[in-house]
Amino acid sequence: MSAATLRAAGGALDLADLPRFDGFTLHVRRGLGERPGERRFPGRRQASGVEIEAYSPYTPGDDLRYLDWSAMARLDQLLVRRFTAEREVRFHLLLDASASMDAPPADGKRAAAQALMVVLAYVGLAANDAVQVALLRGDAAVATSPVYRHRRGTLALAEMLAAADAAGSLRLDAACEDYARRRHEAGAALLVSDFMTDPAEVERAILALQARRFEVHLLHVIGASEIDPTGHFTRGLLVDVETGAAQPLTLTAAVAARYRTVLEAHLEALREVAARTRCTYARWTAGADLAAFVTVDLAHTGLVRRR
Amino acid sequence: MRFDHPGGFGGLAAVAVLVLLYLYDRRRRTIPVGNLFLWRRIESPPRERQRFRPDRLFWAQLAIVLALVTAYTAPVLESATPPAAGASLVLVLDVSASMQTREDDGSRFDEARRRALARVDAAGSDGEIMILTAAARPRVALDWTRDRARVRAALQALAPTDAPTDLAPAIELARGIAADRPSAAIAVFTDLPPEASGLAPEARAALDYVQLGRSDDNAGIAGIVVTTPPFHGPNETQVTIDVRNYSRTTREAVLEARVAGAPWARRSLTIAPRATEHVLLARPPGSGLLEVRLDGDDALAADDHARAWIGAAAPLDLLLVTDSPALADALASVATALVGSRIEVTSRQRFAAAPPAGRRVVLFDGFVPESVPPAVNALYTAPPAGNDVCPTVRRRGDAMVVDWDDDHPVLAGLGALQALAVGGAAELQATSWGTPIVIAVASDAAFPLLIVGERGARRTACLGAELGGSLGTSDRMPLLLLTLATLRWLAEPFGPEALLVETGRPALAGAGPTAPVTGAGLEIAGEPPVVVAERTGVFTLGPPGAARLVLANLFDDRESDVGRSGPAEWPATVRPPAGAAPAGGRPLAAWLYAAALTAMAGEWALWRRSQTRRYGSAPATGRADDGRG
Repeated sequence: MSAATLRAAGGALDLADLPRFDGFTLHVRRGLGERPGERRFPGRRQASGVEIEAYSPYTPGDDLRYLDWSAMARLDQLLVRRFTAEREVRFHLLLDASASMDAPPADGKRAAAQALMVVLAYVGLAANDAVQVALLRGDAAVATSPVYRHRRGTLALAEMLAAADAAGSLRLDAACEDYARRRHEAGAALLVSDFMTDPAEVERAILALQARRFEVHLLHVIGASEIDPTGHFTRGLLVDVETGAAQPLTLTAAVAARYRTVLEAHLEALREVAARTRCTYARWTAGADLAAFVTVDLAHTGLVRRR
Repeated sequence: MRFDHPGGFGGLAAVAVLVLLYLYDRRRRTIPVGNLFLWRRIESPPRERQRFRPDRLFWAQLAIVLALVTAYTAPVLESATPPAAGASLVLVLDVSASMQTREDDGSRFDEARRRALARVDAAGSDGEIMILTAAARPRVALDWTRDRARVRAALQALAPTDAPTDLAPAIELARGIAADRPSAAIAVFTDLPPEASGLAPEARAALDYVQLGRSDDNAGIAGIVVTTPPFHGPNETQVTIDVRNYSRTTREAVLEARVAGAPWARRSLTIAPRATEHVLLARPPGSGLLEVRLDGDDALAADDHARAWIGAAAPLDLLLVTDSPALADALASVATALVGSRIEVTSRQRFAAAPPAGRRVVLFDGFVPESVPPAVNALYTAPPAGNDVCPTVRRRGDAMVVDWDDDHPVLAGLGALQALAVGGAAELQATSWGTPIVIAVASDAAFPLLIVGERGARRTACLGAELGGSLGTSDRMPLLLLTLATLRWLAEPFGPEALLVETGRPALAGAGPTAPVTGAGLEIAGEPPVVVAERTGVFTLGPPGAARLVLANLFDDRESDVGRSGPAEWPATVRPPAGAAPAGGRPLAAWLYAAALTAMAGEWALWRRSQTRRYGSAPATGRADDGRG
């Protein structure tokens, strides 16, 4: 599948529509990087910069170019100008590429998640942020893209995502811990998954990323049949595509009602995990309006803002 | 329905195979899910797991199998199909009184008309159509035509009459007409059940028979008898009205009677289910038209209104032609007892020399003149042999009355005629002009004792008994009453009496003018003139000043007893051989194959839809879990 066919597969994105997101940017509260950039982090003073944030007493070793001679003449004190830190933010777009993202196929969760990743990458690159995409797979090592810092990199990222399939069984906590350990430069981690796993495992994944100073955002892509399975089957053998485990089931009205209760409890548990770990959490039904999700739902969480 | 290849039903084993495949598929059908951890918290009920609950795909596949198997058996539909477009069609609509019965959605006739219009629409635009109506007599309402607008207009113009039903002649007429047309079909719309149509089962087999109606909600006036002693006035009149409840529930009704427009009586009635109330009314306020109305708000109105006539006082005015002074004295003494009566006695010679002028009732005692004035109504008693009016065979002794016609107006109000012993009587022969209404028997044979009828536009009666001088004695009182009753009947046309008829039944119009006729629904024709009423009501015959009343009533239990078992249809099981479907029926195999193809298309669409739901797009054929049986 090529990037050009993302629209056909997921029904969610046409690359020609990406410029409509030009007025938006990804917002982070932490995630201060090491490389100079355009993001200003008030309270994070540095010795050089553009915007003066404060003064501090001179200590030997300070750059004499930033000594405030006027203050010394008035106050007879040596004061050095301190500037607001201006760094780049690196956005780590982590995509759950396990087999569950393709089950059931009619939901199109994988294509939807890919489309969401492309949009987020575009928004980040358009704001001159650094973007790196990682595919978390259970049956293979984490595949990462180069770090892109210009919007031209969107196409390369889209092609990488379009070429990715979903396979294997993924332990989300282990994969995130492994990813965080290998990345020396922290940033904002945008974790895109169907989160069809134990919320405790999700929490461990979040904590592993936060331990490496990642600011974590959970983006939940859920399938229509996962919300309401009654229109998709009535009976049969449910097979877990990751483990191969099976369970016979007849979807009666009572069973469907019980499923809805269990699903609500699961979603509530995910929200609680996000609140407990101070992450943002947003859920998007695959196939729904992607632009509305990005510009409205994610704006409500604070992840996306207008420039 | 027949099957030319019944062995094809062996293919029904494929249904069992289909069910087994379905059960097997259900066991192996897999549904991929991202994770089972949510589902594992839900236990599927074991009983639900085992129950056979096929989906729409299974039913579509079952329909395909059944259609193919049935088609292979080569079924042929032998009945229940309307004739092919282009075939002729005879519509027979019952327009009798009971078709006026009100049902939930209009009258029975309205429903019959709707069904007939639907049948016309189904018949296509090529075939010819004829419309017959059936009431007391069949009638062609519309001759053969292909003009559907005319057919519809003719159907809309039809209305039910107040006449009773005689369905068989109309259907026989329709069959005779249809016999000349290959493949002509006959559709009958009536409220009578087929077994009451008067047709043999084999005749009914060629009909598309539609029965309508259900309601039995009716009470009606079943009869009126006006009894006035001979030559007495209305003060002595008694009227007996029979009110019958034809429904299966008790009914409340109010009966009102008016004479010449003046109120006479009003009775509230409670009539048990299927029971009859006899209402006796006496001492009417006067003479004239008696109108009786039953107010019960039932389903049939035609029998809720009846009419009769209460005659004015008509004293005996008799010309007695006899040579017997004893008989003259006996009748004179009778006339003395009847207020206002008059008897003129004359001999045979004087009568021959000077016959009476004007209207008179004449009694010829043992004598039949060669000619009688036109305005004379005559009673011939003990007529001699060899006469042309009242032919006799021989004289009989010790004759005894054994039978009589209760319904004839002459005998209305008379009873106990079996007590009438006639000492000597002439054995009358049947005549072409009259009806024997009293039968006597002598030693070895029965013979007419009294014949009455219309002859030469005047009423005539022949009485075989000899009156004799002892007529006034108590022993001969029955014979005297019979004689007086006959004389009264002979005198009726000379008074303002009305002609009482029942709808649908022909009745002699009697002497007098017969045109013009006022009122719709009364026909008069023939010689002697006969009237037939299709509507109840009051009609007049003749020009103003000399008009006679005709009072038409519906007194027919078959019509008033409107309860039916509900709408039903009996399609024709036998079609005319010419022009019918080949081999005596319509082959259905082609239709079934077409139905199977349609079901296949539907099954394919269902399969595509299910696969789209499960995979987002239809997978390649042969996928392991595609769910197809």
